[in-house]
Amino acid sequence: MSIHDIIEGKKQWRAHLARVKALPPDYRIVYKEMQKYLFKVGPVDLPDGPLLPGIVDFFEEGVAAGKGVVELIGTDVAAFCDGLIEGSPTYADLYQESLSEKPGTAER
Amino acid sequence: MNFWETITGSDITREWKAFETRAATLPDDYRVAWEQIKGHLLPRADFTGRNLMPILDAAMGLLEQAAADGQRVGEVLGDDIAGFAAALAGGEGARTYRDRWREQLNRNVARRLSRLGG
Amino acid sequence: MDDLTEMLKGTLEGCVLEIIGSEETYGYAITRRLNDLGFADVIEGTVYTILLRLERNGLVQVTKRPSEVGPPRKFYALNEAGRDELAKFWAKWQYVSTRIDRLKEGRR
Repeated sequence: MSIHDIIEGKKQWRAHLARVKALPPDYRIVYKEMQKYLFKVGPVDLPDGPLLPGIVDFFEEGVAAGKGVVELIGTDVAAFCDGLIEGSPTYADLYQESLSEKPGTAER
Repeated sequence: MNFWETITGSDITREWKAFETRAATLPDDYRVAWEQIKGHLLPRADFTGRNLMPILDAAMGLLEQAAADGQRVGEVLGDDIAGFAAALAGGEGARTYRDRWREQLNRNVARRLSRLGG
Repeated sequence: MDDLTEMLKGTLEGCVLEIIGSEETYGYAITRRLNDLGFADVIEGTVYTILLRLERNGLVQVTKRPSEVGPPRKFYALNEAGRDELAKFWAKWQYVSTRIDRLKEGRR
């Protein structure tokens, strides 16, 4: 990764955080807790994939429709998160897979 | 001989150096946690450590964000770093740990939203 | 009817495919449609996770269109793969439901 990519990435990330900051408090609270959970679970495309910006898109629509965040996604936020990443491999999955590969067939 | 000295391959070495540069910008308590996470994860690595890179990267990302949000490290990782590391790597015990993350998420949201409602 | 969540798991995706299949539409409208059908517990968050999965699996075509209120909305239409998937869903549904009915009719 070049320096330029890193800076670009940061700029995009800052823009993303600015959108989060502009959400109403209830949405912001839920978003932040979700993000923490998602980073721990670690789906592979999380850092630069469409998932997190997509959540903000979805939340902004909810705000525009005059809904509270609980009305939009319910109280089981964990179930919502798991629904978002269902079928996406996590880093842990890939790691476990790499362990179960036969010696000699693994990458280097 | 420690793990670091066994590492071969310059691309890997560069990645490790990048981690240390990132770690250096973290607050003290986060740096301690980072060392602990590494300590639990490294014995699991194959001899290049290559397959652990993305997991370490995700863990570092989590620490960086939580630090930027001004949270205390204990709030984010809990007090069981070994369990946390096991869950990051998947495998045995990961499922129960993820259940715990799940409960923690819903509890935190409920608590913070109720505080908001007054 | 309450407490359908567990039973609807797996079939809700088929229902969403069917709704999208009849016309290009967006998340909130799909949710309303399901609510009007009598699935009152289905919330937008759940529909969002299903749409995300359909998109990830390449079953839908997504178009962003401006909305009268708030940010642009994502509209969903079935593509060829999506229509195949919908046909498969109805075949499976037919198979399961006739057998469950048979079981019930044979009750003594």
